[in-house]
Amino acid sequence: MQINELKKKYDQLKKQLHPDAKKLMEQWAAILKQYESDFFEFDVRGKKIKQELTYQSLSGTKISKVYLPKYKDWGDILKWQLQENVPGEFPFTAGVFPLKREGEDPTRMFAGEGGPERTNRRFHYVSLGQPAKRLSTAFDSVTLYGEDPAHRPDIYGKVGNSGVSIATVDDAKKLYSGFDLCDAKTSVSMTINGPAPMLLAFFMNAAIDQQCEKYIIENNLREEVNKLIESKYEIEKLPKYISEDGNAIHHTLLQKIASTSNNANDVTNVVESENSLSGGGGAGYLPEGNDGLGLRLLGLSGEDVLPKEVYEKIKAHALATVRGTVQADILKEDQAQNTCIFSTEFALKLMGDVQEYFIENKVQNFYSVSISGYHIAEAGANPITQLAFTLANGFTYVEYYLSRGMNIDDFAPNLSFFFSNGMDPEYSVIGRVARKIWAKTMKYKYRANSRSQKLKYHIQTSGRSLHAQEIDFNDIRTTLQALYAIYDNCNSLHTNAYDEAITTPTEESVRRAMAIQLIINRELGTAKNENPNQGAFLIEELTDLVEAAVLAEFERLSERGGVLGAMERMYQRNKIQEESLYYETQKHTGDYPIVGVNTFLNKNGSPTILPTEVIRSTSKEKEFQIKSVTLFQERHQQKTAMMLKRLQDVVVANGNLFTELMETVKYCSLGQITHTLYSVGGEYRRNM
Amino acid sequence: MNFVSKNKIRIVTAAALFDGHDAAINIMRRILQSKGAEIIHLGHNRSVHEIVECAIEEDVHGIAITSYQGGHVEFFKYMKDLLNENDCGHIKIFGGGGGTILPGEIKELHNYGITRIYSPDDGRQMGLEGMIEDVINKCSETFLFPEVEVFETPASDSFALGENRDIKKVARAITLTENGKNITGYINNLKENSPKILMHKCPVLGITGTGGAGKSSVTDEIVRRFLNAYTDKTIAVISVDPSKKKTGGALLGDRIRMNSISSPRAYMRSLATRESDKALSKYVREAIEICKAAGYDFIIVESAGVGQSDASILEYVDISMYVMTPEYGAPSQLEKINMLDYADVICINKFDKTGALDALHDVRKQYKRSHGLWNTKDEELPIARTIAAQFNDAGINELFERLMEKIAEKTSVQFNGEIEHQAHVKNTVSQSTIIPPKRVRYLAEIAETITAYNTWTDEQAAIATKLYQLDGVIKMMNEEK
Repeated sequence: MQINELKKKYDQLKKQLHPDAKKLMEQWAAILKQYESDFFEFDVRGKKIKQELTYQSLSGTKISKVYLPKYKDWGDILKWQLQENVPGEFPFTAGVFPLKREGEDPTRMFAGEGGPERTNRRFHYVSLGQPAKRLSTAFDSVTLYGEDPAHRPDIYGKVGNSGVSIATVDDAKKLYSGFDLCDAKTSVSMTINGPAPMLLAFFMNAAIDQQCEKYIIENNLREEVNKLIESKYEIEKLPKYISEDGNAIHHTLLQKIASTSNNANDVTNVVESENSLSGGGGAGYLPEGNDGLGLRLLGLSGEDVLPKEVYEKIKAHALATVRGTVQADILKEDQAQNTCIFSTEFALKLMGDVQEYFIENKVQNFYSVSISGYHIAEAGANPITQLAFTLANGFTYVEYYLSRGMNIDDFAPNLSFFFSNGMDPEYSVIGRVARKIWAKTMKYKYRANSRSQKLKYHIQTSGRSLHAQEIDFNDIRTTLQALYAIYDNCNSLHTNAYDEAITTPTEESVRRAMAIQLIINRELGTAKNENPNQGAFLIEELTDLVEAAVLAEFERLSERGGVLGAMERMYQRNKIQEESLYYETQKHTGDYPIVGVNTFLNKNGSPTILPTEVIRSTSKEKEFQIKSVTLFQERHQQKTAMMLKRLQDVVVANGNLFTELMETVKYCSLGQITHTLYSVGGEYRRNM
Repeated sequence: MNFVSKNKIRIVTAAALFDGHDAAINIMRRILQSKGAEIIHLGHNRSVHEIVECAIEEDVHGIAITSYQGGHVEFFKYMKDLLNENDCGHIKIFGGGGGTILPGEIKELHNYGITRIYSPDDGRQMGLEGMIEDVINKCSETFLFPEVEVFETPASDSFALGENRDIKKVARAITLTENGKNITGYINNLKENSPKILMHKCPVLGITGTGGAGKSSVTDEIVRRFLNAYTDKTIAVISVDPSKKKTGGALLGDRIRMNSISSPRAYMRSLATRESDKALSKYVREAIEICKAAGYDFIIVESAGVGQSDASILEYVDISMYVMTPEYGAPSQLEKINMLDYADVICINKFDKTGALDALHDVRKQYKRSHGLWNTKDEELPIARTIAAQFNDAGINELFERLMEKIAEKTSVQFNGEIEHQAHVKNTVSQSTIIPPKRVRYLAEIAETITAYNTWTDEQAAIATKLYQLDGVIKMMNEEK
């Protein structure tokens, strides 16, 4: 063949290339060059970020944060760009940001026990000295099911156990007091589903009122506001924060010290206590790190003390800046975890209302849902099923929100994901496959923009993979799972404590769990690189296999009428149960080896470890919570009925319930709201 | 004579209040059933009051609960207290909660009178089957039938759990008749103690239909509307589920779906057919008679869904309703359904399913044909379109009105009260709003999108490879020149 013919053929072939592909090929040389530099610059929502690209080991080896393939064949390079690409570029297989955020480990600070004060102390204890406050909140089961604490014994025993008891907006204010909820370095996650809209409304009001407090102080309005409060309210009847010694912190006194106590350790933080609630006569004090923010308007709303237009302005600003996540994933509740309280349809409507409210009020730093595979995995699903069901649930929310007329780019960035990482090989690519499927779907199916294409997810190591025998070995499992997660570029990570299999974790075990992440992030040399999985034959093969398996599951769900149709036939539930049984059988026969459980037993046969003591809430805490909610109801009793009626009317008129809930929670407790909604939205109907 | 062990063991199973962990209790209930017990399964998140009410109404031997969320000491003690307060101390309580219930707490609960809490160690020593056999053995020691029938006569306002009728006596009478005992004494006693405002006639509604049609949901929605509309009236529901021929056990699964039944004005009893090929228990007639004697104002009998030809419920009821879904196959299938010829009202439930309008058309045609109603307008036919899963469904509201009309027409009973309608959240005829029917293939479409992208990627890469190779050859040829 003549060279001219070859050139002609070349030009013909080139015409068959899609413009996008052509562009990628043309850019490659520049990309290689970009990653050779010592620094990397990129844009995050209009902000220029410049970060170092290399790290030097003790031996002097320069380790780059991102390594690119050394392929020569343009086809290999193009395929890599189309299916993998550098972190931060479509299809985001290796990660949704070019580089990890500096100075912020993805570590979350987990707490939830007793009443709001105890949990608040714990939050301050675990976050003290950390630049970023990433608080994860566990609620007690009374709260998870939308009820108020009460003396009825079947309720009483659960108040404040395995989570914090939160029944009112004032409880939420105490819970997060001393953390500026609108600070860019604070982010709060709330593990709540059935009553998520109510808890979210508590939280948002707490955030707004904190900003009102700041406004009052910054504008020297304290005296004025104090006078107003004293004229309108009986100060003794307003709720109080109770310190560790059982003494209350006096409302107005706290306001007076506010101007002088910017220092958390300031002795003036110790103030005269007021003993109507506590019965004690000592001095109440705040935990180290708590500057009292959020407590000055306890029992009131900023709207009661500030002019309406000022309040609305502060509210708008607070909503636009507050950062966090609420789990609120009702589909996985019906499929795996069972904390549904409302009929599924009504629960979905509530979620849609929250999302609509977020769009209208520009709540852009808060995830309205954490689409969770964790509980599906904990109930026994294998990693492929976990991923497939979870993504399918995510797309179900997308379809529902679209059907309500919302724009994909207005809500997709408010969605986040939550997966479990266990020991199975597929866990090494769970983030890669999730990001890839999400990005391709968003771009080509829903024509969404780049921001919407980025799937962000939280990982918690598998609780189910921890065992009650040889519990010391559990940290080893968690370490390996954490390594999977960090190599896979998760956006947030929670490592379980080794004793979680037998009891509520202690301070010692939680510290060890946090050390696991810190050791990987700060000590492990290969983790300084941010794309260690790219280019590994095993990882690439697994990625393709898991992607194909997930798509096959989508087909099976689709044949059953989609996620909701499949749920009606209990398809997901049954599949999860079968997979759980398969695991249990394999574990029992020893075909699936578990060290210290069914193999490599110690001299004594590796017996089950029983906890020596269990952390439970005290009756004093329970009584206090019951009293708090009773007093709250008494304080607002004149308005309760009217506010609940208003809420019902919104349902009947098919209006936005979350907009109304933002007002309802100022005067009504969680249980009052839940019961009102039952009567107009329907209670969850159990299935078998 | 102790004939207890020969009788069916009946057990309520549930997970504790605010507790969603139902995996263990689901395994337990299956094994209990396979050992021949009749199981009334309540599912997760059940309060002590709901469980005790169920235990008394269903006249069970035992209650088996799992509790993994803490608060178990208070929970189990409260259950024991509530049973004792209502003179039902004979009902045994079993529980388990893995490692969450500490050894000391187990001891404390046993001392309090809880029959048995099983620890993880018990599980290892006895095995799952061993534990279940232990439960059954302990239950069979319960002596339900006194030698002499004693009728303590409580004042009419102090029935068990504050219910409006004497649920304990009703429950026991049904158990006796199920076990072939004479219940004349009970019936007379119930009549004597019934509220004076007894109506002349208590209408009985029969509900039947295919399995999976949503009978229990429809029943629940009717009960809710009845209780809301007639605030001084009482209702009894007798629900029949099939027994397993092989084991003799039965899963009485209707109660788990009933959200409205835990009212002092409602009684519910689940019966097993005790013969697997029947849709009804032999003792339905007696059960109805007992409920009437106790003074219930309205009775619903819900039958197990077996076969298209079954119409046995008609013998026992004043009016009947057939519940079906749009998914019955070809229109010719409708010709085989006997109940379409006999039912007073037909309910096409799950009307949000595709093909619902075709189903409505077919059923109307079949109904006209079998009733010779050639000239009746479609809207006048007693065919309701419902989505029971949808709260305050407009279709169910209409169905309820039709049923009350039929009752008035056929039995001349009119319950006094206002049927108060809240504004309908949505109309049944409107399509389900969560995922519009035309979007229901979304997951398949996503799979197609991704597969198409992957194929396209491979094609583009293949072109790029060829270009690379050509480029290499051209360069090589240029060099050789």
